[in-house]
Amino acid sequence: MNLVRAEVERLSARRFVQLMVVLLLLAFAVTAATTLAGSHRPTVAEKSNAQAQAAAQLRSMEEAHDRCLRIKAGEISPEESDYVPADCLEIDPAQMERLPVASDFLNGVFTFSAEARPLLYFLIAFLVLFGFLVGASYIGADLNSGGVVNLLLWRPRRLAVLGTKLGTLLGALLVLSAVASAAYLAAFWLIAERAGMPGRLDGEFWRSLGATYGRGLVLVLLGATLGFALATLGRHTAAALGTVAAYLVVWEGGARVVLQILDAARPDRWMISSYVAAWLTGEAGFWDNHACRGDTAGFCDGFYTMSWRPGLVVLLGLTAVLVVAAFTAFRRRDLI
Amino acid sequence: MSAVIEIDGLRKTFHTLRQGRRVAVDGFDLLVEAGQIHGFLGPNGSGKTTTLRALLGLVRADGGRMSVLGAPAPARLSEVAGRVGAIVESPQFFGNFTAHRTLRLLALAGGVPTSRVDEVLEQVGLRDRGDERVKGYSLGMKQRLAVASALLKSPELLILDEPANGLDPAGIREMRDLMRSLAATGVTVLLSSHILAEIQLICDHVTIISRGRRVAAGRVDEVLAGFDQHEFQVRVAEPERAAELLRGRGLSVTDHPDHLVVAGVDEPELITRTLGEQGLWVRELVPLRPDLESVFLELTGTMPHPTVPRQVDDSALPAPDGALIELNARENREVDA
Repeated sequence: MNLVRAEVERLSARRFVQLMVVLLLLAFAVTAATTLAGSHRPTVAEKSNAQAQAAAQLRSMEEAHDRCLRIKAGEISPEESDYVPADCLEIDPAQMERLPVASDFLNGVFTFSAEARPLLYFLIAFLVLFGFLVGASYIGADLNSGGVVNLLLWRPRRLAVLGTKLGTLLGALLVLSAVASAAYLAAFWLIAERAGMPGRLDGEFWRSLGATYGRGLVLVLLGATLGFALATLGRHTAAALGTVAAYLVVWEGGARVVLQILDAARPDRWMISSYVAAWLTGEAGFWDNHACRGDTAGFCDGFYTMSWRPGLVVLLGLTAVLVVAAFTAFRRRDLI
Repeated sequence: MSAVIEIDGLRKTFHTLRQGRRVAVDGFDLLVEAGQIHGFLGPNGSGKTTTLRALLGLVRADGGRMSVLGAPAPARLSEVAGRVGAIVESPQFFGNFTAHRTLRLLALAGGVPTSRVDEVLEQVGLRDRGDERVKGYSLGMKQRLAVASALLKSPELLILDEPANGLDPAGIREMRDLMRSLAATGVTVLLSSHILAEIQLICDHVTIISRGRRVAAGRVDEVLAGFDQHEFQVRVAEPERAAELLRGRGLSVTDHPDHLVVAGVDEPELITRTLGEQGLWVRELVPLRPDLESVFLELTGTMPHPTVPRQVDDSALPAPDGALIELNARENREVDA
């Protein structure tokens, strides 16, 4: 318990951590201020006009679907402006994930229900970067400065010391991320209430936003653990940064190009970023360039989806392997 | 006396891709008993720090047996860690933390009352600088902070690797006084240092290591006595005649420009009587006792040569049983020449 207290104090006293928290607050403040400045409460006329536009667009979509069915049935002939897919279900409004709503036609009005998710993605991206950098520098600086050696002279149990450091990091990060995300969403909800529109905040919206929030927090913890493990293996913060930079440039950039040149099927399956996207969004869609080969019959859906499950398995597996490697290396390593 | 540190047959070899295999410690033995101020000497790269790191669990030994305060090390080191204060090699601290915070965090981690922080800062002379960031400290101040961190636990055993590094003369004196006062309260001190005069002044026992093996161990005065050739420096009015007279009494005499060195003298009266009987009055008679530096240089084979720069690894390789069996190639060549 004493070691945990000492590590919490050590972590919170680090200037890098303090700087990142200030940056987080700054990004928070700038986003909130610009949103507040660029939004206003819609007038009754604006609302009714927007509702009319949304209704008109919905009608237009229903008409297009209806025309598609009639063209397929041979009741009418297609015109140049008609879009006629192989299956009219593709443009059936009833099958669509999202239908036009009034907020889509309100200019300069911040609508919480429409903006909450992108805002949350932004915060999660920041927190993942924050977690990775803090995780890497927390242990990297300690290994590099000799702080770990000093600590081991007091507590000569390597795995306990490293485990406490990782546990403290993840615990502190979880609290910070959960509080920051909740405060962030609450602030924008208040902005929407006072100077915008809350939008449709039903149970489904909160369930979906809550799931994204939870998955985002897990991603933040995985990012921090990854940074911690890589820096432990490389004995330096720069080792973690270099590894990730090299991976992004060599694999996500270079190998993706090579796989495309080689015309490999579904190259996104080999990219960690695909699994990150699948985990965070719940389901990510990718294009399969082999799916529609030889299909000359018209419409061919070449997209395939990846759910959050393989995303979680891959990300957890990768992190677990690196953590085990880091702890094994640290346990056996000569600290000279 | 009970053994506080026991090392028996410690072996450690480092393997690196670039430099291959390097034996750092090769069957080294060390015994430090309770209440001793024990000097641990060796040339650069002889294995001192590796030995201390292995003892403290920072380096994995390849072989041998170690114990600290009766607990096998490093397996059960954690049981006695609270009673051992240690600094190993140059002190390293997180530069952005103040000395006070650095010690406070260590005290928290070790379960030591944080009130000890101010006490040890005062003890090492950093009371008024404790709230400054460590990165602004001089080497000597960092060294004081390192010693403070070792003292924080009120240890029974203090292991200090080069504690006088970077200290000014007053700091060295203060460190010496601190060691003595700690020893007086029953603290056992193992002190590794290159400042041999300091070791001779502070320590009662000494162990000397060369190329990973022990070359000498025991009480400082006994180790020095083993190299005492019973020599005296003699100044006299007619040195050539005096030398002849002394040789006539079977003594070994070496001529120097302004004095004689007479060896193999058990009783110095023999010199004064021999010369006085012939009307030669001795102006100066000084016993030449071996100091730790000369013994160290001889034992480790690191005596500087005026024309050949000595390399770090140019030191004596003792036999596993403790006797010198091999000097380095360069020195062998010099002997042959």
